[in-house]
Amino acid sequence: MKKSALIFGYNDYSLHIAKNVLHKYEHIAVFKFASDEMRNDLDELSVEEFDLSDEWEELSREHDISSSVAFCVLEDNAQNIFLTISLRAAFEDLTIIALSNNKENANKLTMAGANKVIPLVQTTASIIAEMMDKPITTKVLHNILYEKSELKVAQIEIKKNDCFEGKFPSEVEWSKKHGIIVISIMHEDGSNEFIYSSKSKHHAIENGDVFVVVGYETDIKEFEKLIGATQCQLEL
Amino acid sequence: MIKGLIVDGAYFLNTSKNYQAIKRFFYNLLENDNYRYKKYFDMLMIVLILISVIILIREVKSHVNDSLLYFNNYVISFIFFIEYLLRLWISSSVSQTIIKQSEHDAMLGQNFTLLTAFAKVTREKVAYITSVRAIIDLLAIIPFFHQLRLLRIFILFRVFKLFRYARSFQTFTSVLATKKFEFFTLFIFASIVIFVSSVLIYVMEANNPDSPIDTLYEAVYWSIVTISTVGYGDITPATDAGRLVAMIVIVSGVAVLAFTTSLVVSAFTEKLDEIKETKSIDDLRKLKEFYIICGYENIAQEVAKKLSKNNNIIILDDDNENIKKAQADGYKALNYDPGSVDSYKKLRIDMDKQVKAILCLRKNDVENVYTALTVRSFNKEIFILSLLMKEMNRKKLSFAGVDEILFSKELVGLIAKEFVGKPVAFEVIHALRSDFTNVDIEEIMITDRIVSSYATVEELKNSKYRLILLGVYKNSMQRFLFNPIDSTLLEQGDYLLLIGNSVFLKEYDIQLNKKIKR
Repeated sequence: MKKSALIFGYNDYSLHIAKNVLHKYEHIAVFKFASDEMRNDLDELSVEEFDLSDEWEELSREHDISSSVAFCVLEDNAQNIFLTISLRAAFEDLTIIALSNNKENANKLTMAGANKVIPLVQTTASIIAEMMDKPITTKVLHNILYEKSELKVAQIEIKKNDCFEGKFPSEVEWSKKHGIIVISIMHEDGSNEFIYSSKSKHHAIENGDVFVVVGYETDIKEFEKLIGATQCQLEL
Repeated sequence: MIKGLIVDGAYFLNTSKNYQAIKRFFYNLLENDNYRYKKYFDMLMIVLILISVIILIREVKSHVNDSLLYFNNYVISFIFFIEYLLRLWISSSVSQTIIKQSEHDAMLGQNFTLLTAFAKVTREKVAYITSVRAIIDLLAIIPFFHQLRLLRIFILFRVFKLFRYARSFQTFTSVLATKKFEFFTLFIFASIVIFVSSVLIYVMEANNPDSPIDTLYEAVYWSIVTISTVGYGDITPATDAGRLVAMIVIVSGVAVLAFTTSLVVSAFTEKLDEIKETKSIDDLRKLKEFYIICGYENIAQEVAKKLSKNNNIIILDDDNENIKKAQADGYKALNYDPGSVDSYKKLRIDMDKQVKAILCLRKNDVENVYTALTVRSFNKEIFILSLLMKEMNRKKLSFAGVDEILFSKELVGLIAKEFVGKPVAFEVIHALRSDFTNVDIEEIMITDRIVSSYATVEELKNSKYRLILLGVYKNSMQRFLFNPIDSTLLEQGDYLLLIGNSVFLKEYDIQLNKKIKR
């Protein structure tokens, strides 16, 4: 059983997704309709044929569904929604990422059970508008997000609370002493709270807290090492 | 000898920068509607005209102060006289005509004769002097010779001068001018009816002692009053035959009136789009800064929605349906092809000063390349962003001079990578960018005002406002300094990247710009 990326759709989107997730998954499978014409640029990937009326049992035999991800990038909106809903009906714990052309379809895809919907038009438009309004912010955030610079975003779990002795996050001099900037605190349910929000200001640091930090890779690793050590070596 | 001197003088004037600059200044002031100071000049002239008319009315029954009369008769008239001379001067270029003639003669191997050149110059000037506008201008100066009381009435010609200064009058006349032929036909028809009815009524009534119509002048007066449907009733036909003529004239009058009304209305309806477009172009010139969005398809529509919140935008598309949609959505949209140099010329956009960037957002690489190349052909500096639909066309877009290329398919790949690799980071950064959370990321430009109060990063005290300083973008190095050390010097043109509550961010920006005593 393989940890796979299952890409439904045989087009440019499939190609770019395959290229970008290659390093994360053991196996990449691209699914095409029998009617789709073969493309040279997708030759290297394993291409299988599928039909919207499939039962999908075969998928669970070959792939480890719970750690795999499915990308629904069919060009026809109705087919994409139908595919999403059939995958969700067949597999409860499969992560489904779907592409939508407009807001209306994005809502439908979420209702159909997609974990994440990429609203293509809105996302592209937002990036263009941001590039114009806040060019530097966009550049910096893009470099961080798409790993074009040394700067990274990471999540760090606090395991040794004795390091912080009940201190509040805003009291700790993260940036000066450790070269990293804490942006937010992640809660158990996966939601984020901004570090300076009133809620996180009154919350003393505890074991199990997860911080979302920005920093250079070396600094982040160093920091992780320090708080992971048996004896607290942090300078607060 | 004299010939040579005159030709040399003409060349000197034609190449003299100072002379040409002065002439251009007066041309702009008097004739160029796009010149920013023209409207002030026009307003001054309108005020002078109104003063003249008020004095004329006041003078009818009361005594007007001598100094006011002096002002009216000499100062205003003198200003108009100077204006007349300036208009005569800029109406054509004497030096250019002489040069043209001498070059023309030299080319054909003929002897240059001053007489021919002056004849041409005179013809040009006389053509201007005899134009309706110039005649009105001249008649408006005549009250200057105030000793001739009768000539005072010429002050009213100053009112006609208003046509020159108020653009709406010009629009009105230009609209009516499109129906010249129809108005001419109407005029001929009305004239014939008036002529025939005047003669008829005169023949029928003039010898009747009961009839008030005794002369042909009275007959014409009656005809015009009746055909215009005014009908004062001071002169009415007394004979049956006269009344019959009256009935015919009344019926024709209704037709003339209806025809005139419909002509004016249809002229305006036909020209309405053009008038609206002229107005939009005028409005465009008043805008200080804006983005030009080429095309109005799905992505362009979303970009327009987002950018228009804080910026002015103009949409250009050669597809009228798209333009109608954009206009219905409340944007300034013009049906001009963004891929044609002519469009930008007609719109008279100042690319360097007015346009922040050009966004080629059509769903067709060929059109986007074409638009980018068109813009680059006359402006090398302007920032151009373009969508890319097919990877194979990326090089073509770069070659056409596009500064930033956005390929949505690649974007999907990157988003997918981020989402499967770092879902948390993805969500956090997405939350920072979206409008739905109150936490925002903002860039604040360091102005000279800020530098004078805050010299280093340490002095910024952003944590007081619960703001995270992500870094400083150093403009001089074109580099982003993440988490800068306290001693980092701030320079004018640098940017601070701050994360925090949007309200605090705004407050902090105001605080930074307040001058503090050091």
